[in-house]
Amino acid sequence: MKIRRALFKIFGPVILAALLVVAVLIIPFASSGFNHRTIERAAVSQSKNVFKGVAVKQQALTENYVPFMGSSELSRMDSFHPSVLAQHYHRDYRPFLLGAAGSQSLAHYWGMQGVNHELQNKKAVMIVSPQWFVKQGQNPIAFMQYHSNLQTVTWLLQATNNRDDRYAAQRLLDMQVDKADSQLDLMVKKIADGKQLSKADRTYLQLEKNSLANQDRWFSTLSMKNRTDRINKAAGQLPSSPYNVKRLDAIAYEMGDKATTGNQFRVSNKFWNKRLKGNYRKLKGEQKNFNYVQSPEFADFQLVLNQFHKDNMDVMFVIPPVNKRWSQYTGLSMAMLRQFDRKINYQLRSQGFTNIVDLSNDGGEDFFMQDTIHLGWRGWLKVDQHVAPFLEGKYQQPHYQMNDYFYSKQWQDMANSQLNHYLAKN
Amino acid sequence: MISMQPYQNPTYFLYLTVALLPIMIGLLRGKRYRLYETVISLAFLVLTFGGNVWIQGVSLIGYIIYEVALIFGYFHYRQKKNASWVFYLLVFLAIVPLAIVKLEPVFQLGKISLFSFLGISYLTFKAVQMIMEIRDGAIKEVNLMLTLQFLLFFPTISSGPIDRYRRFIKDYTQVPDQDKYLTMLGKAVHYIFLGFLYKFALAYFFGTVMLPKIQMIALAHHGLSWWVVAYMYCYSMDLFFDFAGYSLFAVGTSYIMGIETPVNFNKPFISKNIKEFWNRWHMTLSLWFRDYIYMRLVFLMMKKRWVKSRVAMANIGYITLFLIMGIWHGLTWYYIVYGIFHACAIIINDMWLRFKKKHRQAIPHNKFTEMFAIFLTFNLVCFSFLIFSGFFDKLYFMH
Repeated sequence: MKIRRALFKIFGPVILAALLVVAVLIIPFASSGFNHRTIERAAVSQSKNVFKGVAVKQQALTENYVPFMGSSELSRMDSFHPSVLAQHYHRDYRPFLLGAAGSQSLAHYWGMQGVNHELQNKKAVMIVSPQWFVKQGQNPIAFMQYHSNLQTVTWLLQATNNRDDRYAAQRLLDMQVDKADSQLDLMVKKIADGKQLSKADRTYLQLEKNSLANQDRWFSTLSMKNRTDRINKAAGQLPSSPYNVKRLDAIAYEMGDKATTGNQFRVSNKFWNKRLKGNYRKLKGEQKNFNYVQSPEFADFQLVLNQFHKDNMDVMFVIPPVNKRWSQYTGLSMAMLRQFDRKINYQLRSQGFTNIVDLSNDGGEDFFMQDTIHLGWRGWLKVDQHVAPFLEGKYQQPHYQMNDYFYSKQWQDMANSQLNHYLAKN
Repeated sequence: MISMQPYQNPTYFLYLTVALLPIMIGLLRGKRYRLYETVISLAFLVLTFGGNVWIQGVSLIGYIIYEVALIFGYFHYRQKKNASWVFYLLVFLAIVPLAIVKLEPVFQLGKISLFSFLGISYLTFKAVQMIMEIRDGAIKEVNLMLTLQFLLFFPTISSGPIDRYRRFIKDYTQVPDQDKYLTMLGKAVHYIFLGFLYKFALAYFFGTVMLPKIQMIALAHHGLSWWVVAYMYCYSMDLFFDFAGYSLFAVGTSYIMGIETPVNFNKPFISKNIKEFWNRWHMTLSLWFRDYIYMRLVFLMMKKRWVKSRVAMANIGYITLFLIMGIWHGLTWYYIVYGIFHACAIIINDMWLRFKKKHRQAIPHNKFTEMFAIFLTFNLVCFSFLIFSGFFDKLYFMH
């Protein structure tokens, strides 16, 4: 008797804990859905857990949210940020911000896994930063912050032996700095090698998916940044309807002017004080040799384009400029940027992605950029001139002609005269 | 099949629970099912060293045969003779496989080291310890089965804690009485759940959530910045919670098996000086280095009268100890600097303690000075971990 009581005292709590864990993870809870406020907050939170998850995105996409895929510029939330304008002028769409610093094409491809069904026949906006296209491409440490096993598991369950999947698998393996779950890695390796998953693999994946999907549903909205106040405040500075571009541009000019007084580059004072003031002298001429023309990112980008094609999506691409005052100071080559621009435009247009907002020549406009490379006031407003009609208009059935050549090493590395020659020929 | 590192995920704990249940019931009834224990041990060894890492398994078997042959050969020799050179040769031979593994990355000897497998360091510590105690005459008999059980004890095989042969054998050949075993079970549950908190919550937070972000920003600053300081604390917390969590699992599992494996950490960050720190941090390793390197070296210096001054003797001992410890971590400049850093810290600490002893009246001692001592020690240790992390290597040499 005594021993039984002693054992119960020791193991009672353990058994209770185990039961609770099993309950939370294994039982598939009927999803009652998130409430409207949660989705609204998630849409502007740029939370990594939301990015890595599925449940929130799924629900948002069945409502009036449109994916805005990008990176660090999405967090420049001044009064002309897409989320602010959409809210303030009561547009029938709302941006769902996907991505933050460090998320590039590959992260976005994996971020789409799990919501491809919801993305079918939808519109989206993708902001393609030239800065993604560096020699090393996607940084693995940054990538892993946007990657989840749920993405891998969901993807594995539908992966087959084709160029896109083999490429995606290989790139995922490239990114694995430390082996988090080697069981999954082995399966990804199988796909990369063009092999098939076994029945046992699939059973494992299905069980794993249940548990991960439950965790996603339970936990992904727990620690989101609350940006609604910031959005409301930014919106509060805008004049009420009707929307008048000329008037708004004047306000954007004024706001930019006020916020960038402290430095020669006219970047926001906040950014200047935090990031540049201390070390900008060291950066003079520092970017002379920057090259955005030769990069594995071109192939990663192709992977995303292929996914857009498979999901039959109508996508608008925005190519932001670089702050001209800054690029002149750092010696960033304009010729190189032009080359990048031609290369990316070719990759898009030749495959039927013709909805491109190319702002690459606007880097010299006053207060177009909030800082060195991120859109701000007048830049966001200009983006809105294209985005708003696109999103308020009807969905256009796209006609894409995909070309696997853009995965090739040859295309990734093509530059200078070779590129000129190629573009002239085609 | 896929291999599983000890305590890496919930699945491992599930297997562990199922496997340990019969052992626990047996011990509660005063019995040790030795055959079952052996089978389970083998099963877990296969789980860790089989499947896709079977080459490691082969290395492990080869290594064990080699070390056991050394131990038994030396034991038989030692019954008749006791020449120093034979002893030194044996210790040297016992360390050779580990040395090859540690030197391999530097000299690029081949693709995979012959003896490269998870936990080779800890097995070597155990083997060398046996050889030394055989020489001392402390180990009076060796039994093949017991030696294998000791070396291959699966809860501690990959990263310690490092047990001692005689202590282990005493536990293994007995069954704890019921009251004692119930206390051990209580502790085991406590340890394992504390381990969950350490390893899967705190180490995850510091190591997986925070550290990559901080590292990225710190590297982006190209040189010293406050982010390096943030990295230092974050890395130190990750290191502690990860390793302490792992050690708690190992100790907890041992307790369930009726083996009182010594604990490895005892609140290291409340140490008032660096010496106390090493008595609280990775304790079984520091005790091993103390007993089998430091003490023996100092004793040798005393016997052979190489050095006169006791202080100098201690200092030589410290430098040797920490240099070896640094090199043991791997032949990179930062591990070696880490070792030298700690040797210097402990030498300075000793100087201060002597100074304090002489001027006891003049130096205040109160709550505040104690807090200051803890603060200073903590930061010194964290800085040494920053060196240890190799972050400076990434920051300054990898661009």
